[in-house]
Amino acid sequence: MAPARASKRKRMLALFLALAVAACTTDFEKQYADAEKWRQDAAASGYEWLETEGLLKEASEQEALGNTDAALELIGKARLQAEMAVRQAEHEAQAWRTRVVR
Amino acid sequence: MLERVYRGVCLPATALAVTLLSAAALAGPEEDRLAFVNYYQSRFPDIAFDDFANGIYAIDADARNQWLEIEEFPPYEFAIEQGEALWRQAFDNGKTYSDCFEEPLVEIRAAHPRFDVTRGKVVTLEVAINDCRTAHGDEPYAYDASEMVELTAYLAYVARGGKIDVPIPEDQPGALAAYEDGKRFYYSKRGQLNFACADCHVTSVGLRVRADRLSASLGQPTHFPVYRSKLGGMITLQQRFAGCIRDVRAKPFDLQSPEYRNLEFFLSYMSNGLTINGPGARK
Repeated sequence: MAPARASKRKRMLALFLALAVAACTTDFEKQYADAEKWRQDAAASGYEWLETEGLLKEASEQEALGNTDAALELIGKARLQAEMAVRQAEHEAQAWRTRVVR
Repeated sequence: MLERVYRGVCLPATALAVTLLSAAALAGPEEDRLAFVNYYQSRFPDIAFDDFANGIYAIDADARNQWLEIEEFPPYEFAIEQGEALWRQAFDNGKTYSDCFEEPLVEIRAAHPRFDVTRGKVVTLEVAINDCRTAHGDEPYAYDASEMVELTAYLAYVARGGKIDVPIPEDQPGALAAYEDGKRFYYSKRGQLNFACADCHVTSVGLRVRADRLSASLGQPTHFPVYRSKLGGMITLQQRFAGCIRDVRAKPFDLQSPEYRNLEFFLSYMSNGLTINGPGARK
């Protein structure tokens, strides 16, 4: 087989595999990963809210029980909390100065 | 026309306001402390400066009467006795806690928190106790362990009457940075309820939250550790921080994390000059 043709086949195979993996990633996994990324960002800024991690844990438990709708609802709440916490951190980076007793 | 007025008047005014606010936020520690003291004394002109060391009991007369009754048989006495016994107990190598501190016993509490230039961090009393333990081959205590709180209760007790005196030397930029970090934390809103420490303990000081009144931050560090009736046990100042953080529905930090140590450093500096009167008793 000519080397150029073999290389093209390998690329096609890699693309096919990538698409297959993407197709197999469930809605739950995608949304969980997205919410978890936001939670980690909130934690890194020091502004993570109290319940966010627990909501994600509960979502995993619901998914394991086959309750995907309930799991997705919990992930939605966690995602919203985490994003709000990140926005809070961004806002407070300057806003705290206005509250200093003077 | 309006746009011209905005550009001509409002923009410079806004810029000036931001500059003034930034300047206030960047004021030095001593300017901050004086403004802090002045704020509380203006809010409560009948309260003498040193009475702020009594926390909410300086503000709430009914609660003060109950507290004075409680102080007749202080619930923290057992912790002091236990702490003294632990303090006197020698490590396996024969050394004791006293060997770890340069200060006389009665001054150890007042010497903390302090900024350690060599290590580049704020060292609280609890950290110093654990440093001592590990230096002599013992395991450190958990920062909420009863032994840790008992040791600090004893050190607070023997230090009673001393003054809070946290230095921030001008030639220690690390100390100033730690102070600024604590200050930023104190004034930053966090959690699902979007509250800053200052929202309760500055803006709303003296107002009720359910059945309790909110205490002034001036004087808060003087009386810790405290016996909390509702918990039936002693807690450190940083355990109280964690409680507040949880109350505003934010995820608490680890005890003795840089965030809490710097906050303790800032708050202690704000209370400079007040009398140490720990351990205390609270609801």
